[in-house]
Amino acid sequence: MTRNSFYIKSTAQISIQQPLCEDWMENPIWYDSNYVRSLEPDYKQYIPPMEARRMTRIMKRSLTTSNVAIKKSGLVLPDAIITGTGWGCMDNTEQFLEILCNEGEQLLKPTLFIQSTHNTISSHIAINTCNNGYNITYSHRCVSFDMALFDAYLQYKFGKIDSALVGSHDEVTPTSFVLLKKMGLVGCDDEICGEASVSTVLSSTPSDAHSAVAAIRIIYKPSVSEIHSTVNQLLADAEMCTEDISAVMVGISGNKTTDNLYYDIVDNCFRDKTILHYKHVFGECFSASAFGFYAADCCLKHGYIPDFLYVDKSQGMIGTPKTILLINHSDGKTFSFILLRSV
Amino acid sequence: MGKPIFITGAGIVSAIGLNKQEVLSSLLAGKSGIADVRYLDTEHREFPVGEVKLTNEQMIQMLDIKPDAVTTRTSLMGMLAMKEALDDANLTREDIHRAAFVSGTTVGGMDKTEHYYLDFINNDKKNKYIVVHDCGTCSEMICDYFGDFAFVTSVSTACSSAANAIIRGAAMIRAGLFDIAVVGGSECLTKFHLNGFNSLKILDTELCRPFDETRSGLNLGEGAAYLVLESYDSMRRRNVKPLSVLAGYGNVCDAYHQTASSPEGEGPYLAMKEALEDAGLNVSDIDYINAHGTATPNNDLTESMALKRLFSDRIPPVSSTKAFTGHTTSATGSIEAVICILAIRNQFLPVNLNWKNQMENGITPVTDLHPDKPVTNVLCNSFGFGGNDSSLLLCSSEIYDKE
Repeated sequence: MTRNSFYIKSTAQISIQQPLCEDWMENPIWYDSNYVRSLEPDYKQYIPPMEARRMTRIMKRSLTTSNVAIKKSGLVLPDAIITGTGWGCMDNTEQFLEILCNEGEQLLKPTLFIQSTHNTISSHIAINTCNNGYNITYSHRCVSFDMALFDAYLQYKFGKIDSALVGSHDEVTPTSFVLLKKMGLVGCDDEICGEASVSTVLSSTPSDAHSAVAAIRIIYKPSVSEIHSTVNQLLADAEMCTEDISAVMVGISGNKTTDNLYYDIVDNCFRDKTILHYKHVFGECFSASAFGFYAADCCLKHGYIPDFLYVDKSQGMIGTPKTILLINHSDGKTFSFILLRSV
Repeated sequence: MGKPIFITGAGIVSAIGLNKQEVLSSLLAGKSGIADVRYLDTEHREFPVGEVKLTNEQMIQMLDIKPDAVTTRTSLMGMLAMKEALDDANLTREDIHRAAFVSGTTVGGMDKTEHYYLDFINNDKKNKYIVVHDCGTCSEMICDYFGDFAFVTSVSTACSSAANAIIRGAAMIRAGLFDIAVVGGSECLTKFHLNGFNSLKILDTELCRPFDETRSGLNLGEGAAYLVLESYDSMRRRNVKPLSVLAGYGNVCDAYHQTASSPEGEGPYLAMKEALEDAGLNVSDIDYINAHGTATPNNDLTESMALKRLFSDRIPPVSSTKAFTGHTTSATGSIEAVICILAIRNQFLPVNLNWKNQMENGITPVTDLHPDKPVTNVLCNSFGFGGNDSSLLLCSSEIYDKE
C-alpha cells in the first residue's frame, strides 16, 4: 500500500468567522477594523464550566476545536497529537511579564507560568483526551502549522503512525497586536488580524473522508530555481502534473511586502492557474496558514469555491475543484507547499 | 525497529565547559558548574545556578559578530555549540545547503523581551529586539550564521525540546528526506523562567541533590548543544567517522498533569520502552542511563518508579548530571546526549554529584565513575512539563569503526 494520501477526516475552527461551522462559505462576516478577536462559541457545550474558568482563551479554543475534530472523525485516540503555535500562550506570558517588569520578582503566580509555555496546548489536549501517543509542538513563526502537518504526514508516509490530530493555535491579545504591528507582521497596510484555532484529524482510512493531503514540501531560503524544483518534486511525490492542479491558494493578506513574494511565485510557476486567497476572510496571525488548509478542505469537501476566495474572478472560475495547492511563506525565508486533493 | 543514525559531530556549551574537552574534564574531576548568580540580572540571589561563564559581549567577540548586531543569549550560546559540532563533522557550506536544522527552545528571545518589554509596548519607535522574541527567529539566527540550510524548524516541548529536535531530525533522515541534520537545543537563563520555577516552589537554595532522600528542588542552568546526524551512506561518501550512533528514540505524553508526573511514571516508562523497541535492544543491553533526574521530589520518585517497572531488579547504572550543569531546560536533551557520547567514547560513568542518602522507593545512582562492564548502549531521558517525555538510545560506534 502506498501511503501518499493522508485522509482528512475532520476539521474544526474558531476564528473571526462563525465558530465550529462552515457558515463562512455562504455568509462570510466582513470587518472594517483591522483588529478583531475570534468569535467564541458557547464553551459550556464542550468544556465543564469549572474547568473552563481556569483556562485562557487559547486553551479553551484549542481544546474545543480538538475535541470537536476528534468527535467528528470518530477516532477517539489518534496516534499522535502535533501542534503548531507561533507565539504560544501570549495572554499568560504578557500578564507574567507585566508583573515582572512593573512589580519585580516577588509576586509571580504559578498558574500564569504553567500556562505560558508553547507546549501547554498540545499537552493539555493529551491530558484531556488521555492520549499517551507521540506529542510535539512546533513554534516556527508563520509556518508553525505547516511544520506540524509536515511531521504528521511524514510519519504517516513512512508507517510510524496511522492517524494524527494536527492543530495550530495563536491568540492575538491587544498587546500582541501592538507588537506584531510594530514588527510589520500583522495589521499592516490593508491587512486584518485574525486569531486562529484550527484542528484536523487525519487518518490512513479513506472512509467518510472527502479530501486528503497528497504531498508536502518545505524549503528554507530557496532560490527561484529551487522553488521550481521543489514544486516539481511535490508534484512527483503525488504522481501529478501542473495540469492536475485546479487552483493555487496563497497567503496574501493585504501586506504589500509579504504579498509580493506570493505574486512572484505565481508569476514564475503558476501563471495560468486560478489563484485563491483566504486571509481577507480569516485574517493574519502566525497560525493563519492553518486557515488556508481549512478553507481548501472545505472547498474540496463541498465541491465548490465561494466567489470571494478568487483573487481575480476574471481569470475564470472553476466548477468542482479536484486539487488545491497551498503556498505559504514565513518572512520570505521558509516556503511551504501543501497539496490537497479530493477523494 | 528503525534504521540507526550516525552522529558525526557534537558541540556543547554549558556551565561545566565551553566544548567537549572541558566538559569531559569536569565530568571526570567531579567538578560542578553550579554557583552563585553572576550573569543573570535577578533579585533572586538565593538560588545557585549553572551559568555559562561568559558575558554576551565575550561570546559576540568569540564569534566575530558585529557588536551592534541583534543577538540573544540563547542564539549566541547556540552558535558557539553548533560551531564545534560542524567543525567536528567537517561540514562544508555545500553540505549545509542540503542539510536540515532542527532546534529546540522555549525561552527564545525572552532575555531581551523581559529587559525591553515596557519599551516594546510604550515606545513608538520599534525596539530592535521585538523581532527576536519567538522560538523560530532564535533557530534562524543560530543556523544563518553558518550558511543557508535547506530546512529549518523549531521544536518547543519545554524541557524535552532538544530531545524532540534530535528525534525529528533523525526521523527525517530515516525517511530519506535529508542525509544530514544538525539538531539540538539552546536555552539561556531568564528571569521569566527562574521566577516561574520559583513560583512553583521547585528551586533549591542549596546545591541540588538528584535521587537523594533530602532532595528539595532543582538548580536551573543554561547552555546549548548540537549534534550532526547523518545517514550511513552520507557518512561513507564524505569519509567521516561517527562519534556515536543514535539507535532509537521514544516520544510519548504522560497525559497526566501540566507540572506533575503520573505516580507510576507512565510517560517515562513508555518513552524508554519505545526507545528500546525502536533500537531493537533489550533491557539487559543497556549499560548506563542518564536520567532526567531534576532533583524535584516528584520527578525523581516517578522516574525511579518507571525505571523499576522497566528494568525490575536489574537496573543498569543510573545518574543525573543536573548537579554538574544545572537543569538546562530546553537544551537539556542535547546537552545530556553529548554527555552520554562522552561517557561511551571515554568509557566512564558520569557520577550523580551530591548524593548521600538513599531515597525511599528510589534508585541508587552512580557514585563511582569506573564502570563494571563496557559502556556501549545508553539511554538518555528528557521529560517536559505537560508530560512531553522523550528518551534517546545512544550507542557506541565501535562496530562501524572496524569497517
